[in-house]
Amino acid sequence: MSEAAIKLTKGELEKMLAALMRDRTVFAPGSTGAKLEYLPVDDVSDIVFGDELPYKSPKDVFFPRCEKIVTFSENGAEAELPETQTVLFGARPCDLEALDMLKTILTQGKFKDPFFAARYENALIIGLACAEKKPGCFCDQRETDLDYSEKCDLFLRADGDKFEVLYVSDKGKKALGAHIPGLEQFKNTPREFRPAETLSLDAAEDDLFTKIDWEEITETCQSCGICTYVCPTCHCFMFKDVEEDDKAYRYRNWDSCMFPKFTLHASGHNPRAAKRERYRQRVAHKYVYIKENFGMTACTGCGRCIRSCPAGMSIKTVVEGIREELQ
Amino acid sequence: MIYEEMTKQIREAAKRLLKEGAVDVILAYRGGGLNEMQVPFFVKKPEDAELIEWGDRCYQNLAPYVHGLNKKVGILAKPCDVRAIVQYITEFQIERDKVTIIGVDCIGMVDENGNARPGCSECRVHKPPVYDEYIRDERAANLPAIEPKAGETTLEENLERFQKEIDKCILCYSCRQACYGCYCKTCFIERDMPDWQPAEIDTGTKITFHMGRAMHLAGRCVDCGACEAACQSGVNVRYIIREVTKFIEDAYGYSAGMDAEEPPALLTNKFDDKEFGFLGGERHE
Repeated sequence: MSEAAIKLTKGELEKMLAALMRDRTVFAPGSTGAKLEYLPVDDVSDIVFGDELPYKSPKDVFFPRCEKIVTFSENGAEAELPETQTVLFGARPCDLEALDMLKTILTQGKFKDPFFAARYENALIIGLACAEKKPGCFCDQRETDLDYSEKCDLFLRADGDKFEVLYVSDKGKKALGAHIPGLEQFKNTPREFRPAETLSLDAAEDDLFTKIDWEEITETCQSCGICTYVCPTCHCFMFKDVEEDDKAYRYRNWDSCMFPKFTLHASGHNPRAAKRERYRQRVAHKYVYIKENFGMTACTGCGRCIRSCPAGMSIKTVVEGIREELQ
Repeated sequence: MIYEEMTKQIREAAKRLLKEGAVDVILAYRGGGLNEMQVPFFVKKPEDAELIEWGDRCYQNLAPYVHGLNKKVGILAKPCDVRAIVQYITEFQIERDKVTIIGVDCIGMVDENGNARPGCSECRVHKPPVYDEYIRDERAANLPAIEPKAGETTLEENLERFQKEIDKCILCYSCRQACYGCYCKTCFIERDMPDWQPAEIDTGTKITFHMGRAMHLAGRCVDCGACEAACQSGVNVRYIIREVTKFIEDAYGYSAGMDAEEPPALLTNKFDDKEFGFLGGERHE
């Protein structure tokens, strides 16, 4: 290691997070008593360090499960952009990759999501390297380096009882320079990740529709939708308007393409009434459509959908099968 | 060893049923899941029966796959799966002669750390109550009967525990989707006349959903634990459903899914039935 290496003790890291808590909401891995997830914490002792991956991705820090976005009154419609300054601590390389994809999809495409953009702008993202792959993880095949990422403001790697700084962004230097001695002079050493093999699809949409037996692939699927809820890149949502007193509110909630009502038209027609069509949509959206629109595959190999599936289905096996079938 | 022997018997039965044409498809398990989980498997050809695996990682309740499957179907069924099938029959969802039950004794499933799976630790039914083919497990005969923990706490304690549990809920409805008994085409929570689900996903919405689901499962829950197993947030609402189950058992002496000829408690009305008010209190005149 060069002389510029910065290593923080756990105590120093906790002290920094505690200081950040004074004027920011800090989201970090914490236990609900049952599972590990990214929770708002107001005491550093509630943060769970270690290598376990929270069961759900941290996307709801930027894209909440339920969000009131517009208020309608006799004065017209008013949208309030979120102003809370936040810190996301302990996001893994797969999640960082996914957040960067969401940023591209939601803020750089044809339509812009001002709520996501504001939350992303207001957040300080501290990434953490994974020590090892967990059962179900296939990040390496999805071109995600579990040991390094630049898609954050500060990237750390646990090294014994210390945390080594591997990367810092300009925003990170500005916000954290006062807390970490030497951070402002820190020079990033970019790393290139070359996976041994890459899992992606170069299939034409027509082939996906006509040459693949989706009925067989999805016969054990229960349409429970948990894969979309734990996924770091799934971002479909729905609106619901409610009237209360003399005002009306528009809420945005997560939706899931696995639900039969997801594409139900007002006419009663449903273009994706069967689960084989819905599952095809999920795979095609991640591996084909987003690639066509944004040039990337929206799956980071975090393995959460595989670990969560009650029927033991695996998107990795499915995509591998499709590749074999279409070759 | 016992599981290997049972697997052999199951494969033979499955092969025979498929060869005879008694069934078009058999629902069973095969290996290949994470942490050695045995995953659901649709066997369509006799030679595929060789891939069937039976063991202590066959978590999934296979009964929901039968619902809406318009085929002559065989099912490798644990006692809880059998009870779900029987319940489908008594609720006129499937016809008895369209389903061939390969009933199998079950001493309970375990997770990768050897701990009992949801539903298994307090299971009372280790032998399939109804079957067409029967696969025996000697160990199932000697298991102690466990009385389910229900009816021991006060309403206030229950409410407090309930609120703590549903704090973890993200309202993804996986529990409903995994449940054999939740087969409504449109769930009450998704109906908008009246609108049961307000836009804001808060504690009230979650209470409405979980309470509504528990009430709809009154006297119908077979305690398979699929809801809790499907829940990735670790919410245990099954205990509240168990309270309802116990209430029905005490009031009408009815356990779901034990007898294909017996109509469900809440689908019949006898003149001497006890009548209760809301929440089991005095009848409101």
